[in-house]
Amino acid sequence: MAKNSSDWAARPRFPTSHYVDSRIYTDQAIFEEEREKLFRGAWIIGCHESEIPNAYDYRLFTHPTGVPLIMVRGEDLKVRSFYNICPHRGNTILYDPAGNAKRMTCIFHAWSFDAKGECIDISRGEQGYQDRYCKEDASLREVKAEIGFGGFVWVNLDDRSCTLREYIGPALDMLEPHMQEPMEVFHFHKAVVDTNFKLWHDTNSEFYHDFVHYFNRITGMMQPGYFDRKYTGYPNGHASVGSMEIKYDAYAGSKKRAVGWPGLAPGGWILIDIFPGMTYNLRTSVLRIDTVVPLGPNKLIVEFRGLGLKRDTAEERAERVFDHNTIWGPFGRNLHEDLLAVMGQGRAMHEGTDSRWVIHGREENSTIHDEIGMRHFYAEWGRRMGRPAHDPMGEGRPAPARAAVSA
Amino acid sequence: MEQRHAIEELVYRSCMALDERNFKGFLDLCDDDFRYTVTAYSPEIRKDMVWLDYDKAGMSTLFGNLPRHNSDHSPITRHATVYTVSVDAAAQEAQAVSALQVFRTQLDGGATELFAVGRFHDTIKLGGAAPSLLKRVVKMETRLIGAGYHIPF
Repeated sequence: MAKNSSDWAARPRFPTSHYVDSRIYTDQAIFEEEREKLFRGAWIIGCHESEIPNAYDYRLFTHPTGVPLIMVRGEDLKVRSFYNICPHRGNTILYDPAGNAKRMTCIFHAWSFDAKGECIDISRGEQGYQDRYCKEDASLREVKAEIGFGGFVWVNLDDRSCTLREYIGPALDMLEPHMQEPMEVFHFHKAVVDTNFKLWHDTNSEFYHDFVHYFNRITGMMQPGYFDRKYTGYPNGHASVGSMEIKYDAYAGSKKRAVGWPGLAPGGWILIDIFPGMTYNLRTSVLRIDTVVPLGPNKLIVEFRGLGLKRDTAEERAERVFDHNTIWGPFGRNLHEDLLAVMGQGRAMHEGTDSRWVIHGREENSTIHDEIGMRHFYAEWGRRMGRPAHDPMGEGRPAPARAAVSA
Repeated sequence: MEQRHAIEELVYRSCMALDERNFKGFLDLCDDDFRYTVTAYSPEIRKDMVWLDYDKAGMSTLFGNLPRHNSDHSPITRHATVYTVSVDAAAQEAQAVSALQVFRTQLDGGATELFAVGRFHDTIKLGGAAPSLLKRVVKMETRLIGAGYHIPF
């Protein structure tokens, strides 16, 4: 029997860890709070070192909190990060998303800065400021930057944060042996979609949605070993899904992958989610990295990167590019389906739609269709936000649970 | 002039066939050695990227798999304007460069939005009963295409 309004509003008969209030995806105040409590102190991937290989190469990145950042390699080849905000009149210093700038000069009044964030010239400084203000007063705001875990440039806005190594903990251990060789970004694109950032991360945290992907059903779900893949949760909300062998040749037009990846079994696949919105996705011959940049409760940028090995021959690189594009490119089979799915959630769940609950109730011994990955994420979300995801407004009591309590 | 007209018509027919999801009709305009590539330059990573690269058989399979996938059903329309045509009579080939605009129309309400712009760089085989597409490189200017699309431009 279909539900009436009371039934619809009633809390799901699951343990409170197994569902969330959909207002965590739609509420503006919660969104603003997330930016501060989840993102400001988190280590976030800004770019990959291969994007700024030479001295004075820089790359811009809008941090999920909204802060515009420059990541620049100095003459000493160290990568540092600064606000892309001129300390004079608050103007943007660098405009192009990437480039090479020995002097970073604000176009507005020509104040210049070096790759260590020091002001090296204030135009007509002495005439205007006499001895009241000088270059030493006009440095850029530096933020923490570290290179690690596959050569990615991680940034953190919180001066008092833990180290990158402490933040990641053992979460990427499964991938570390496969990221010992220098890598190179060969693909980058963004998607702006109307959905909440957590819904994208959810999609990377559960594989039950393989039902949306014909490609994954035919090459994965119908193959031996698929249901053996297990989730592992790590401190700080990170989670991984173990490997399996994908039967690529089960999909018409696809083929067994030849080029492979160091140490990874042929057709192997490892996926690791980093809280609060990054994903390492190593699938056979390509590493894909997703980074979320939330713009609002129902508006999101996802930055997609595809990486191969720096030592690739032209033929090897072409094969990786082909593999990447088949499923993950802007015209690929799977990415389009994933994005359609989360846009559908955004369409059904934005403020005013009377969506109430989202269920994460599947328990299958932590294997591939278990929803423990999302439960693990929302446990951390609740801890950092100081409010439970099942009752973010503190207004309800849980319904009597029908399911056994687990994870 | 007649040859240029035939080449222009080939480009326009290729757009119309794909707009109508007449994939067989599109492939019938292509030579057996047809190669289709979508490229874009990324100012972010300062690299040329390949977004799609198939031969004729690959394109046929891609089209054939479409009904098995979940796709955006909003129709797109390709508007091409042939800018230049250069004929190599000795090689029996022509190069045509066309401006491309792709519009998408929402199913609910019918609002139309600009989806992408770019250029076709076509290599056209001459000498047969009618010119045929030997190679198409779609050089995308637009790189932000939301959820993407399952049918290439």
